[in-house]
This record gives sequence, C-alpha cells and structure tokens, in this order.
Amino acid sequence: MDASRNLYAILGVPPEATADDIREAYRLMARRFHPDANPNEGAALQFRDIVTAYDILSDPGERLRYDEARRALRSEPTPFSLRVMPSKRVLSALAEPQVLYLLLEIMPPRQAGAAQRRTAPLNLTLVLDRSTSMRGARLDKVKIAAHNIIEQLSAQDVISIVTFSDRAEVLIPATTVTDKTSLCAAVSIMSAGGGTEIYHGLAAGIAECRRHLAPRMVNHVILLTDGRTFGDEERCLELAREAAAEGIGISAMGIGEEWNDQFLDALAAATGGTSAYIQSPKAVLQFLDERVRSLGNAFAERLQLTVAPDADVVLESAFRLQPTPQPIDVSPQPIQLGTLEKSRPITVLIQLQMPPSIKTGFRTVARLDVTGDVLWSERQQHKGISDISVEIAQNPQPEEPPMAILDALGKLTLYRMQQKAEQALNDGRVQDASRQLENLATRLLAAGHEELAQKAIIEARRVSHTHALSQEGRKSLKFQTRQLLALPMPESDKR
Amino acid sequence: MKTCPYCGFDNREGVLYCEECGHPFYSQKDAVETTQLSQDAHEGFKGRMTWGTARFEEGALLVIRIRDVPEPITIEPVRDIIIGRRDPLGGDPPDLDLSPYGAAELGVSRRHALIRRGEDTLTLVDLESTNGTFLNGQRLLPHQPRVLRDGDEVRMGRFVLNLFFK
Repeated sequence: MDASRNLYAILGVPPEATADDIREAYRLMARRFHPDANPNEGAALQFRDIVTAYDILSDPGERLRYDEARRALRSEPTPFSLRVMPSKRVLSALAEPQVLYLLLEIMPPRQAGAAQRRTAPLNLTLVLDRSTSMRGARLDKVKIAAHNIIEQLSAQDVISIVTFSDRAEVLIPATTVTDKTSLCAAVSIMSAGGGTEIYHGLAAGIAECRRHLAPRMVNHVILLTDGRTFGDEERCLELAREAAAEGIGISAMGIGEEWNDQFLDALAAATGGTSAYIQSPKAVLQFLDERVRSLGNAFAERLQLTVAPDADVVLESAFRLQPTPQPIDVSPQPIQLGTLEKSRPITVLIQLQMPPSIKTGFRTVARLDVTGDVLWSERQQHKGISDISVEIAQNPQPEEPPMAILDALGKLTLYRMQQKAEQALNDGRVQDASRQLENLATRLLAAGHEELAQKAIIEARRVSHTHALSQEGRKSLKFQTRQLLALPMPESDKR
Repeated sequence: MKTCPYCGFDNREGVLYCEECGHPFYSQKDAVETTQLSQDAHEGFKGRMTWGTARFEEGALLVIRIRDVPEPITIEPVRDIIIGRRDPLGGDPPDLDLSPYGAAELGVSRRHALIRRGEDTLTLVDLESTNGTFLNGQRLLPHQPRVLRDGDEVRMGRFVLNLFFK
C-alpha cells in the first residue's frame, strides 16, 4: 500500500476522524470536485485522488493497514511546505464577477541548504545547434560554455552532448564525467554547417538523457539554437510532453533574432524548464552556468501543480515567478513546475475569477495540490495540499493587497502588456498594438526602466508606420520585461 | 466594477492593475515607505494622495491655481485650450499664456500642452514639449490624452499648476 500520500489531507479530515466524518467529508468533496458538478480540468484530477482516499479510509480494514504503514513513515520531516496568500481575505458580496489572485509559495525545508552541501547528481544533456548561422563567435562561445559545464560537473554526474543541423549526431554519448580532458576535446571538434531541424536534435538528446534516467537524479535537456525550425514544432512539443511524463525537464535558449520564442516557451512550459533569449554570444556562458547551477541546487525534482478551483470559480492564468520567471499553461494539468532548489522557493501567481452574487460567509475557493520527488528522501513522491478559503461580507473594511502580490503583479502586468500588444498585432489591430506599446512605455517609465521604455516607444512608432515589430525589439521587450520578475540568485548559492 | 482613472477602461472588481493600460490601483510606494516623514516633507504633495472626481459637467468651470500666485485663473473650457507662453517674436499666442508668471525661466514651451473637453471629462495632452508635462508627478507621453481629475497637479517643466473643478 502506498502510504506516502496523506489520504486524510486529501479528504480534509483529521486522522482521528470517525467513519461518519469521513463520509460527510467525501460528500462535501464530491460536491466541490465531481466532474458532473465541476468542469475544471484540475478538479477532475483532484476528484480521482479523493475517490482513492475515500475507498481506503471508508473501509475499516484498509484504513487500519494504511494507518500502520503511515506510522512507519512518520519519522521523516515534511519535505516541502506550501504557503498561499490571497490578494484579499475578505471579498465584498457583489452582483458582478471579481478577480482574486493567489500567490503560491512552495518552500524547501529551512535547513535544506545547510544540511545538503553536496549538489544534486545531474543527468544532463546538451543539444547544440551547429547550423551554418552558428559559425564564428556563437559556436566558439558555445564550446567554451560546454567546456565550463564539463569542468563544473563531478563523477556523480552524467553528461551527453548532441549536435544538430539538418540531422543529429551524438557527440558525446551519455557517460559519467570522469575523463574531462577527452570530453572537452570532443566538444572542440564541433564545426558549423547545415540548416536547423530541432526535432532530430531534440529526439536524439532525449534518447541520450533517457539512457541514464534515474528518479534520484536531475534529468534535464538544455537546447540551444539560433534558428527557426520548420514544420516539426508540433512533433517537438509532443516529444517534450512525453519527456515530461518520464521526468525529463527541458530548458531552451535562443541566440540572436531568428528563432521562434513562442515555440521555445511552449517547450519549456511543457516540462517545467526555462526559456531565455540571448542577445550576445557572450551571454551563453552566463545562462548555461546559471541553469546548471540551479539544477545542481535541486532539493526536489519534477514538481507538479494541480489547481482545482471550486465549480463556480474560473482559473484564468498562472505564471511561475521563481526560480526563473516563466509563463505556464493552465492546461493540460498537472502543471509542470520543474526543480525546487534548496534555498529558493518556487512561486506561482494564480489568477481566478470569482462568480457574481456569492453568499456571505466563509467559502472555499480552490484546492492547490503539489507533488514532487525529493532527491534524498527515502520515499519518492511527496505531496502537499492547500485548500483556500475566503470570507464574503457586505461592505468589508477596505484591505491593502499584500506587498508580495502587488510587486509581482506589477511586473507581470508589464510583461502581459507586451504580450497583448503582440496579440493585437497578430490580429491585425495595428492601432491597438501601438497604443498598448505606448501604455507599456508609460508604465516602464513610471517604474524607472528608461531604456526599456525607449525601446517600447521606438517599437510603438515602428508599429504605426510599418505595421510590424522588429524581431530584435520584440524579443528584447518580451524577455526583458519578463526578466524584471527575476530575483537575483541568493549569494549563498554561488559556487 | 473599477474604472481606470488613466484610460477609462472598465475593469472587474479585485483587479490590482488596469487590464488595459497597466495603471496601478494601489500605490506600491505607500505600502513600502514605512519611514515617518516630517510634516514639511508632505508639503507640495497635497492633492496627489486623494483622487477627485473625473466628472466635468456641462457648464462647469476650471479653476487653475499657479503656485505662488494668489489669484486663480478661472475658465470655461468649451474648446481645446492650448497652454504655453507667448513668443516675443510673434506667432499665435496660446489660449492660456503663462509668460507673465515666469514661464520661460521655468521651462514652459510655447505650445506646451492642451486641455481638451471630452464628454463629461477633461483630458490633458502633452504637445511634444521640450521639458515634458507631468500629471501628479508622472510624465505624459506626447499626444497621449490623460483624464484630469479635480485637484490634479500639472507640472510643465518646473512650472506647477493645480486644477480644480467648479
């Protein structure tokens, strides 16, 4: 019997609950999350867990066995904790719908950083673009970056390197990092030539990563490209989803202006990875170094979030703020969140819409469910659940939203404005796009980001004249507004 | 519903930043600054904390107070009012000429900004002035109208006006 999951928490009852309590709790949960009553995707996933929990806890014999198995696990400390902050604790009873934000923090245990000095064992695959356009400074910097990574790794780690152009070649088959000299030599012989077909490279990379796939390792593929792949994007995303299901994360990095950022974002979002835009070849080093360091700081891997709103609540969007800012899709669920580092929480900002005409009193809003594999834990999958409730009142006292939410949302708003301008342009609404960019410039200026504001103004003018954004301007606005959300890495994590 | 004072977009209740233009509905600064300021430090910031009405009805009057000038200027804005300073070399004078109040020294352009009458509102537009137009401390983008509210502070270069609706 799998005793690692806290079935009592899933049903929302204390461990000493009577059979009646359990039945009543199940009835309430079914009313909230049964697919007939609740159309939300996350609710269906939650309900599946609830049925499993009820099946065991409602059977006296099964419950006894579960309790015993659970007692044996008790000695383990809580691996990670959830903290959820709503934008308002008391909502006004209104005839119209209203928006509620939740800031979710998934926190590693406080002592994790100090107790585990060693880094997490990595199973790392680099998938490197060697198409003709990479020739020169780009490829040189990529080689140096790869050398640096090899130098950083130790004998507990596994590395593989795949290069691709029109086809893929396995430069270094998955191997433990023992003979660094010959690994570096293999990287040095890379040469540029050919087109860009990401699918082949990605498929070969994932295959290499899979060879050493281990639940107690950080299994990650880093894709680096400067080009646009044609016709195989859908297949790549399919591949990414399969990889995520197996426990492989993908981070993607685009160099220069040609590559498709939406595609790389989707690739990272599907697997809990990170995507980034690199303007100069020099920045390759920094990005790869940070990525590998972040993975090495892993406390838990393969974090997944399920957001199950109550039947009348709508889940509108979610955005991962930390450890690296990344837009995430709320469908399909569970949502992949990637790596939980030892000394940095994962934070996610969730936007919900509450229904009109809610009754006064306390009510539930949503359930958040997080699972993840703790790398050094005896047992693998850990789970945390948080049920969010708010109070509804007639004319409540005005309430200042929490600083953390205001701050994060303020920056996220900038990023979203850029996205809206792009959307407007794609829909052919040129004036809207130009106005959005001007608004963005105003807000950036007000927030003290003069250089970015200038870029936004230039792009606003360009849009009204040429009905298009420049590739460079579009990407730097997008990724630099996104980067505003990033917090600096804690000093203690720097090697 | 929460109407944005900046762009007039109707947001849903609970929204913290205008979903159209990103205008913050809560001031972050107020929440961050916990240091107690001396009473003097608040001088000159009056009118920024509270928002007056944006509604400017038919027949209403606009009262313009210029800092350090005892008598306010009262006008009925039925059409566009260009604010600036008279050019000694000629050219059309602006509707509201600020040159008697030291406008040139304080960096006001000849055609600096204009106040436009909308339906039940007044908007302020910067006319690509050299030193910029600031509404309640925030710089305006050229040619982007902003809704004015009772009690707003407008700064043109270093020239400060306070606007009141009557």
